[in-house]
Amino acid sequence: MATEPADVLIVGAGASGGVVARRLTEAGFRVVCLEQGDWHDKAEYRGPELDWELTMRKQWSTSPNVRGLAQDYPIDETDAEISPLMYSAVGGSMLIFAGAWPRMLPSDFRVRSLDGIADDWPLDYQELRPYYERTDREFGVSGMGGDPAYPAGGEDPPLPPLPIGAGGLKVARAHARLGWHWWPEPNSILSVPYDGRRPCVQRGTCQQGCNEGAKASTDLTHWPKAIAAGARLVTGARVRRLETDKAGLVTGATWLDREGLEHFEPARVVVLAANAIGTPRLLLLSASPAHPDGLANSSGLVGRRLMMHPFANVGGLFDEDLESWQGQFGCSIESFQFYETDERRGFLRGAKWGLAPTFGPINAALPSRAGTQVWGPDHHLHVRSHLGRGANWGLFGEDLPDPANQVALSPTLTDASGIPAPEIHYKVSENSRRLLDFHIEMATQSLKEAGAHTVEVDRLMRYSGWHLLGTARMGDDPKTSVLDRWNRAHDVPNLYVVDGSCFVTSAGVNPTSSIVSLALRAADHMVETRADQQVPA
Amino acid sequence: MSDALDRFDAGQRATLTALAAHLIPAAHGMPSAGDVIDDKRLRFALEARPDLVEPLRTALVTGLPEDPAARLAGLERDQPDAHAALLLVVVGAYYTDKVVRERLGYPGQEAKVLQSWKYPVYLEEGLLDGVQARGAIWRDPATGRTAIEARPAPAAPTQRPA
Repeated sequence: MATEPADVLIVGAGASGGVVARRLTEAGFRVVCLEQGDWHDKAEYRGPELDWELTMRKQWSTSPNVRGLAQDYPIDETDAEISPLMYSAVGGSMLIFAGAWPRMLPSDFRVRSLDGIADDWPLDYQELRPYYERTDREFGVSGMGGDPAYPAGGEDPPLPPLPIGAGGLKVARAHARLGWHWWPEPNSILSVPYDGRRPCVQRGTCQQGCNEGAKASTDLTHWPKAIAAGARLVTGARVRRLETDKAGLVTGATWLDREGLEHFEPARVVVLAANAIGTPRLLLLSASPAHPDGLANSSGLVGRRLMMHPFANVGGLFDEDLESWQGQFGCSIESFQFYETDERRGFLRGAKWGLAPTFGPINAALPSRAGTQVWGPDHHLHVRSHLGRGANWGLFGEDLPDPANQVALSPTLTDASGIPAPEIHYKVSENSRRLLDFHIEMATQSLKEAGAHTVEVDRLMRYSGWHLLGTARMGDDPKTSVLDRWNRAHDVPNLYVVDGSCFVTSAGVNPTSSIVSLALRAADHMVETRADQQVPA
Repeated sequence: MSDALDRFDAGQRATLTALAAHLIPAAHGMPSAGDVIDDKRLRFALEARPDLVEPLRTALVTGLPEDPAARLAGLERDQPDAHAALLLVVVGAYYTDKVVRERLGYPGQEAKVLQSWKYPVYLEEGLLDGVQARGAIWRDPATGRTAIEARPAPAAPTQRPA
């Protein structure tokens, strides 16, 4: 049991936790991190093995409810139209994310001002841009500068772009004919050796762990450096609650080890980096007579405004063999053609498109995302028409914040330690449905122009809650936000939240680049204001 | 370690073979799953996914219709988890067979060497020229309209060959 309080205690060793740990330890802070999962070795990932497509549906599922591992906590999602996805480990959900690395756009920070809905962020794109550039270097981002979907200037991605593949080339040619935007997707996947890591081998199994270490995750990119600089990372540590003193400051965390023994880790400052479901769960679990509705929750917004990006998949099938089982599962190309609001479309905001590879023969044989299944003699024709001959546009629609979409504590479901599990309430809005309908129609046009003979559509994928956002939003007004513009809790001056919970709006892009850039910005602020930081007596 | 196949008697194995052959018969130059899924292939699938043993046993239980089509329809309607497990075991065992993969022309998820120094075909074909010529498409919060900006020369990962 620790006796001397850490300068900073971080809960969660994933994307944002790793970034903050590295920055703070390198600045001389004494950092401790509690992580409920474990380290993984790259050799554990099943991508090169025959059982890859079998184990991806259970042991390496992106859903904790499907995996049911001891380090996971269950999630009651019976009242949710989208299932939240995550992974508990050092490196967190980055172990199973795709690696796509787009930034938010300038308009994403000003939704209220521009479109009269939702809210503006307390910062803008230009303020975040230097942090995007720093995290691009820290994680090793491959891409190409000059994309006119973003303001000109600044640093290009540090590494050359990954290949766009035969499918990407077909769609790029189609967009050239249509006069539509496309660009090579930036990915946090190495195109060349970088920082001691090997480049991508195009195996196409990014979401089941990268055997090469080419895809960035903080267990590779940040934790080794943080530990070398003095950080202490405790795995198998499940935090039960945060403790506070009479002054309202957080004093540390009570946690359980793998044997169920309880510990207390004291700290001067606590940083939550447990994702937008784990973090509000912990804040709600930390209720006390002094804050009966949960810690840092005077606004009543802890757990509310959950955003998960309603997702549609539009898959084109081509006559040619594209070897589409290979290639980075980040994305090959992207399109922002219909990203910005056009009210004539009947909805507000938009979606980014990312073109992804397909899977192997087992995926081709089983009922498709669009519900197609063929058995009997023609099964073989079905598999031949799908295997290696597909290109999938993934459409991430901007998810507007709704207080009714929320994370609460389940009154009945608990994790393996008996701690109340989160309960998700989430409905897809009418704006999102209209948005997806429009984008599906446009993506279908894109693929047909590219030569697809068939286009299959999954209009709203249930297992698509990769992007967990918004449940402890930042803002300038303590009455309408949980965190200030530096990710510090309005109510608790020595408590920070640096994961996707802080998002004010969701934008319509993959959020990890923005999450880690906001986290790095918060860590910089902690370093700069160290002398003024209020801590427990 | 116990053998997952011990959980299935001869009758259940025969039922599985019949169902597999019904789902994936020999046709179009491909073999029948009833012939391909031998002990080795079934053991492979169940060792990869031991959680499928029980729902597969449910799908193969005696008392359900002997006719494969009728059994499959009943399972899909009344016991979807068992039906899904059956499909996954059949497909998982079949498509991990060496001969099946060779006939499909699927070599597995291969490791390939990236040739990042090569000038991309899309740049050779000028597929980004139009994108850049059209200029900025981002919406400027200051005006609410599409941004107007001077942009630098097109970026490229490598120099175009002479």
